[in-house]
Amino acid sequence: MINLNYRDSRPIYEQIKDGIRKLVMTGAFSPHERLPSVRELASSLAINPNTIQRAYKELEAEGYIYTTAGKGSFVSDISEVDAGRRERQLKKFEEAAVELMFLGMGAGELKSRIDRLAKDSEGGRAQHDTNFD
Amino acid sequence: MIEVKNLVKRFGGFTALDNLSFNVEKGSVYGLVGPNGAGKSTVIRHLTGIYRQDSGEVLIDSQTVYENPGIKQRLAYIPDEIFFFLQATTRDMMHFYKGIYPRFDAKLYEKLGKVFEFDDKRPMRQLSKGMQKQSAFRLAVCMRPDILILDEPVDGLDPVMRRQVWSIIMNDVSDRGTTVLVSSHNLRELEDVCDHVGIMHNGRLLLQRSLSELQDNIAKVQLVLPEGNTLPEDFGAIHQSTSGRVLTLIMRGSNEYISEKVAALNPVFFDLVPLTLEEIFIYELGGVDYEVREILL
Repeated sequence: MINLNYRDSRPIYEQIKDGIRKLVMTGAFSPHERLPSVRELASSLAINPNTIQRAYKELEAEGYIYTTAGKGSFVSDISEVDAGRRERQLKKFEEAAVELMFLGMGAGELKSRIDRLAKDSEGGRAQHDTNFD
Repeated sequence: MIEVKNLVKRFGGFTALDNLSFNVEKGSVYGLVGPNGAGKSTVIRHLTGIYRQDSGEVLIDSQTVYENPGIKQRLAYIPDEIFFFLQATTRDMMHFYKGIYPRFDAKLYEKLGKVFEFDDKRPMRQLSKGMQKQSAFRLAVCMRPDILILDEPVDGLDPVMRRQVWSIIMNDVSDRGTTVLVSSHNLRELEDVCDHVGIMHNGRLLLQRSLSELQDNIAKVQLVLPEGNTLPEDFGAIHQSTSGRVLTLIMRGSNEYISEKVAALNPVFFDLVPLTLEEIFIYELGGVDYEVREILL
């Protein structure tokens, strides 16, 4: 479910956060589903429970999960975390754009890429709609 | 939970522990690391009441450990070199431990047979080193200890067993709040299981921190400066090296602080990566002149 990669430069708690976030985002965990307890995860991944606690706490602060005292941690309704996600994805996008420009790609080229992507996804959506009709 | 205060131990003219102090809180997993001969096993032998100190205090739950059966009942220890009675089997040792440790859980012992699969009626001296470690571990867990002291615990265990053993310990820590002190050279593994580390060198403690503090307060930066620019003299990196145009810096401070500081140099490119425990170990000990020497043979 969550894979820890020891060659990854991210600290373990980040990897756990990313792993759970991904499971929430992709819908592998549905809203209000109970997450594995700290103890379950600590013993299945063989890592310190405090590390998992830290990952859960931060995910909670980011809005991906919520905790009910005595019952455990649960997956939040995704719509509520959209804003935060948008910001993070934008940052990633910016990083990728900067790197591409560094590799010699012009801003114009990037823009036309985005235009094409937008057109494709609109087209895709239109097609999707017709399929439904 | 565990308090070591100004501990001094001399063997003849050799000072093995030199005014050593550290604390381990309840429910914490404390990793004791250090070069060979730093004194890790010597500290552990004080914590388990085997050695008597020349001066200083060794306390568990505010009580002296030495010759204190009340504390020792709550403490399980797996030494670096396992010792069992000559002809004994694992099961014989179980009966022996059951008689000594009031909390010994015989039901758990049977249950753990599922994990430690080899025949526990085989004499221990016929078992391989790794299997003896497994037996020692099985018995230690069944003591239901409040404090678990492990000296190179997974040395000699295969990868599956290592993970299995850590999984059982982590389960115990989150379930019962067991305090664990572990000495090891496998920093990669300690990084997963510990929340605190102490780095020892020459009988002293160089540094004691929580792992998250360590990781949040030091980082490695790789950057390329614009052509013709050089790094300001007083930039504050604790270590730096250059390879071509790429500068590698080790810097103290939070990630945000370091990012801002580096971004202000207008680098062509920069990347921030957290340090692994192994790197921290090497940099900290490099500071006291313990490092890999270049030698041609």
